[in-house]
Amino acid sequence: MRITLALALILATSIGGFGQMDTTVMIISKVDFQEQYELHDGNLIHLMGYTQTLSAPINIPAPTLIFEEGDSVNLNMWNLSQGAPHTIHLHGLDVNQENDGVPHLSFEVVHDDTGSYYFEAPHPGTYLYHCHVTSVLHVQGGMYGLLIVKPKSDPNLTWENGYAFDSEHAWLMSEVDTIWHHDSIVNHPHDPQAMTHTILDYQPQHFVVNGKSESQLSSQAIVASVGEKVYMRLANIGYYGNRIIFPAGMNAEVIASDGRPIPNPFNSDTVEVYPGERFGVMLETNAEFTDVIQVDYINLNTQTIENTQEVDVTISGFIGLDELENQDLLVYPNPANNEVQLPLSGEWVTLDLSGREIAQLNSGSNNYDVSGLAIGTYILRSVERPDMSVKIMIQR
Amino acid sequence: MMRWIFMLFLLLTTKAEAATVNTSLYILRDSIHFDNGTSLPYATFNATNSYNATNARIVVDLGDQLDLWVYNFDTDVHEFRIQGQTSTVSIPSGDSAQVLYNCNTEGVYIFHDPMNFPDNASVGLSGMLVVKNTTHAGFFWNIKEHQVGYNSTVFTGSSPDWMTYYPEHFTINGMSNPNINNDPSARVVGNVNDTIYIYMANTGQSIHSMHLHGYHATIVYSSKDPSHAGWSKDSMPIFPSETMVLELVPNQPGEYPVHDHNLIGTTGGNLYPQGMFTTLLIAP
Repeated sequence: MRITLALALILATSIGGFGQMDTTVMIISKVDFQEQYELHDGNLIHLMGYTQTLSAPINIPAPTLIFEEGDSVNLNMWNLSQGAPHTIHLHGLDVNQENDGVPHLSFEVVHDDTGSYYFEAPHPGTYLYHCHVTSVLHVQGGMYGLLIVKPKSDPNLTWENGYAFDSEHAWLMSEVDTIWHHDSIVNHPHDPQAMTHTILDYQPQHFVVNGKSESQLSSQAIVASVGEKVYMRLANIGYYGNRIIFPAGMNAEVIASDGRPIPNPFNSDTVEVYPGERFGVMLETNAEFTDVIQVDYINLNTQTIENTQEVDVTISGFIGLDELENQDLLVYPNPANNEVQLPLSGEWVTLDLSGREIAQLNSGSNNYDVSGLAIGTYILRSVERPDMSVKIMIQR
Repeated sequence: MMRWIFMLFLLLTTKAEAATVNTSLYILRDSIHFDNGTSLPYATFNATNSYNATNARIVVDLGDQLDLWVYNFDTDVHEFRIQGQTSTVSIPSGDSAQVLYNCNTEGVYIFHDPMNFPDNASVGLSGMLVVKNTTHAGFFWNIKEHQVGYNSTVFTGSSPDWMTYYPEHFTINGMSNPNINNDPSARVVGNVNDTIYIYMANTGQSIHSMHLHGYHATIVYSSKDPSHAGWSKDSMPIFPSETMVLELVPNQPGEYPVHDHNLIGTTGGNLYPQGMFTTLLIAP
């Protein structure tokens, strides 16, 4: 199933028949020729991956693709790897064989060629997409991302007549073995006659949530208000198991797995997610606290925990939100770069996610200079109105 | 000397057509061979006194009584039990034992040699007893992995270090890709709208996560997580010694992979693609 290169760069969306959206999304498969992806220790590695523009750097995970239930979707892939062929396997979407992205059973896309995958977005839920060419190498190389299908009626529902939520987070867990990201492997020669590929022993040194670990995980922190319903989408594309342990105060309820509601939702602070699986977990707190969500990485052969990552959680009162309803309208822009507009003038205390005061902001107007804040997520608390707090993310 | 071992459980339910199933297992030792040329010493429960690296499988109907004789043709003493169902019986070299078992609960059970567990079971002596309560088509996956060197260690009377376990070979019914597709009991073949049962047992020591392309399947039975019955899944983790039954009703034709999504499990001897990778073939 091929399309012409001329069509490949078109990213178009139009309304189809019967109220369904015809959506065309462009995906470019690429390989780093220079080490560019930064790990928590400052080391840079090569990635293989997917981007949506030519200029975008490859990240792990690849961009999250979001569709509405019933959408007719064309995923157009342009392979600019300079070497190996690639595909897009739509993991869990149960597409037909032609669009399944398995090279010898459908098609592969060679360098500088394009291919198109078609599907109708099925059940609302959480899915994956990844390359299925020499998949053990290309997935570890970075060719994976999340694909989310939303119900048509309300994006803040898990599914039609399902659970309503105020905010959501999606975590895709994996690992990085830096040896597997050596230039000679990421840019491995492609011999179409070769029947097998040699791999190395897998001994990952980095255990990541959305491609981040250790101090980098501040970008994945959960900041919510008391009573806020938070939907967590958990997925594992690594070669280890994950055990996610929520603070007891988050009242975790497991409600979905692999893109389907489970028939018997249950409360559990601990959720295990094994390779290829996805889970949906509803969280709702009834008190303020700061804590961490623990993510264990389980060696599948020894069943021992080889690494644990922690992601900060801050649950605040946000009493002011009761009056003002929508924080996004109060903090603009958010994420912010160097300036931000806050709902009140005067003095604001800046807290990090552990509740530690790190700065004060003063302004005679609603505009504040935040250029002195490092990249990350913060809570700002008004000195004049200590019952009013807002969360802000700094991105540059 | 022939010894009689009676392990008779209360017959809780009986079908009118319940039958006594007379069968035998033979403990034999030889080797298992992989596509990269590697061979490991191996022992299996065979249906005849002719060695095969695929363990024999016992399939009975719910309510049947199993009358099983186990013959030890190996040079070492071995043990036998149906995991969680019968007590352990020791079988010296050249000896045999009778096991009677009332199959009154639907499911998949692992029979194995529990001596020095998991050592003897890990060198191949681990098979499936399937108690069916359906006439629908069934396929059987005895899932297992192998680390070079461990089998020799066990056969020389030592115990390998399971805390450093790093298997290099991954099999279903003793076979790796592409040979699994030549096993008609393993490769799922059917038609759209058929009701197909897949009976799985993890007789290895690693956790595997079996992923279906093309379809979700419904978990009918899980020995580890009974509450997962009724879940519709495309990726099913299966733990060491766990058994599971899936019901698949394919809604579209085609040929779709099924494989371990710990993708290391789709390799063999550090070569890709081998390992636990087969396909489902569904006709219109």
